[in-house]
Amino acid sequence: MREVTLIIDGRKVTVPDNFFIIQAAREVDIHIPALCYDPSLEVVGACRLCLVEIEGSRKLQAACSTRVREGMVVHTESDRVVNMRKEILRLLLDNHPNDCLTCQKAGECLLQQYAYRYDVKFREHSGAKRPSYVDTSSPYILKDDSKCILCGKCVRTCSQVQDRKVLSFAGRGFNTRIVLDADFTLEESSCVSCNRCVTLCPVGALVDKRLLGKGRLWEYEIKEVKCKVCEYGCDFEVLVKKGKNIAVRAKEPGKGRPLCLKGRLTTEFMYLDNPERPYIKENRQFIETTWKEALGLKDMLDKLLNYEDEEMGVEYNG
Amino acid sequence: MARIIINGVKYEVDDNITILEACNRLGISIPTLCHDERLNPYGACRLCVVEIKGRKNLEASCTTKVRDGMEIETHSDKVIRARKEILDLLFSNHPEDCLTCEKSGDCKLQDYCYEYGVERGTYLGEKKDYPIDDSNPFYIYDPNKCILCGKCIRVCSQLQGTNAIGLENRGFKTKVATPFNMGLANSNCVSCGNCVAACPVGALMPKKRIKHRAWEVNMVRTTCSYCGVGCQMYLLVKDNQVVGVEPAEGVPNHGLLCVKGRFGYSFINHPDRLKTPLIKRNGKFEEATWEEAYDLIIKKINEIKDKYGPDSLAGLTSARCTNEENYLFQKMFRALIGTNNVDHCARL
Repeated sequence: MREVTLIIDGRKVTVPDNFFIIQAAREVDIHIPALCYDPSLEVVGACRLCLVEIEGSRKLQAACSTRVREGMVVHTESDRVVNMRKEILRLLLDNHPNDCLTCQKAGECLLQQYAYRYDVKFREHSGAKRPSYVDTSSPYILKDDSKCILCGKCVRTCSQVQDRKVLSFAGRGFNTRIVLDADFTLEESSCVSCNRCVTLCPVGALVDKRLLGKGRLWEYEIKEVKCKVCEYGCDFEVLVKKGKNIAVRAKEPGKGRPLCLKGRLTTEFMYLDNPERPYIKENRQFIETTWKEALGLKDMLDKLLNYEDEEMGVEYNG
Repeated sequence: MARIIINGVKYEVDDNITILEACNRLGISIPTLCHDERLNPYGACRLCVVEIKGRKNLEASCTTKVRDGMEIETHSDKVIRARKEILDLLFSNHPEDCLTCEKSGDCKLQDYCYEYGVERGTYLGEKKDYPIDDSNPFYIYDPNKCILCGKCIRVCSQLQGTNAIGLENRGFKTKVATPFNMGLANSNCVSCGNCVAACPVGALMPKKRIKHRAWEVNMVRTTCSYCGVGCQMYLLVKDNQVVGVEPAEGVPNHGLLCVKGRFGYSFINHPDRLKTPLIKRNGKFEEATWEEAYDLIIKKINEIKDKYGPDSLAGLTSARCTNEENYLFQKMFRALIGTNNVDHCARL
């Protein structure tokens, strides 16, 4: 692989020639804002927030989808770029509920982070806003369409797993929405509650429902753990508040693994002080169940207990 | 001792304490915006109301003392309804800008709205609309975010003793103000920032040199280096840079700081800050090790002493040192060097 050298904000960077500008910038700790970009996903260039100015190029270019070239001179925070970003953020906020006061995502919401960084506030306007459609049918995921910014990260991560591909775009223009299967609820759809989409959603449109009302992100001490269900070990976080393990949430899947509900429930059961009752989906309905059932240990536990009894019996007789 | 029942559980607590104090000691959390252990009870925010059996009205737990046989409910439906109503009223007259508010993440109003599920202010009507006072070089006052808990005023008068601010007007028009509304810069405010530390919302905020949100910083506890008192404080660190200071509770300062400790931190990451001693060689200052510097000092002192006598030397020490360090310094001058020429900057 060839290496190229370019200049980003006056700093020289040498990277492989298949890098995108956004990746090259991160090499020198320059964080170009982006809502739809994630290193684990296919690049789509949807949010336009990563626009940068490249000398010799008339238009601003998306840093997430423009490859580096030898001798390129890039400006990531020029007035032109910053004004454009502010405008994009303003438009996104125009169509977003103003409820950071109690929003579960506050503290790690990218829209909030960038609005703060570029000092953009909500505007009063009399135009239409996305309808507030909240899907509360799943015990694991809360989907709030009014907060969605249509970055499509959830759709892309869901489609990476062959037998899932549950999420997709529906409708056009202002009415575009993210739907499950043929516009089913989380419960009725084929969603397996793996939370891949939740881990990538940059805003509060998809949140972990088992965290709801338990605390704000800044109150937690976070312990990083690996799932122990299979040998790949997907990343999970245990959220600790006032010395108590309050909740578990999924993070990045292990290499080649999809994240799964069993892993999540097992991690909950292992680490939490008071794990909530588990639910499993049967015939497209969530049913409250026992931990034995949820973790698939029922047969084994019953056998184990019987077997121990028998063993003890033998010992006594002997 | 008083025997009381809180939420159906029997406790024995000291008499002569308030219900709020009793609950704090027992680990029962009661929300409050205007209470501060260091100040006299005030009973302004009414958020700490509790239900007491036999009493018609809800009582503010911060101003009601426990009495033998009292039966208290801290989270009954009636209490929760009242708290929600108070939060709703407060937020209805509060700017909706948690999106970019500098206090977000460390705001009591935000915390309680989350805890009690108050998602928005439902009372639509007039909102406060005052100009922001940013005349003080270190902090701003935004009256529109003020909830009139009065903590700032009480800290300024009861603890700091400066009396720079007070409440003016009545009812909806009540506002924290400086005398004759001349602004903080023209008041007798000494910029200690103790009101800023006490403010539960974003009405009083330090001016930030580097933008940061409450959840992005690490709090590192340390001792203020400006004088020998040894005030305890937290340095707010973001990306290995000190971006702010907050006072710490406990001795000796009990959550108070002065203008230097609170706002004079930018030297820490300043590029011109000296990190090693400099020795002048061939007319130019060069970086040296501490050993080299001390050797040079000793050598020069001995040279001067031998040539001109001990009284040709004088020592001036600093108020930034502790008592013990100042004692050692005068001892060094009197006993080792042999002169009484020693003084301290605080006497000048």
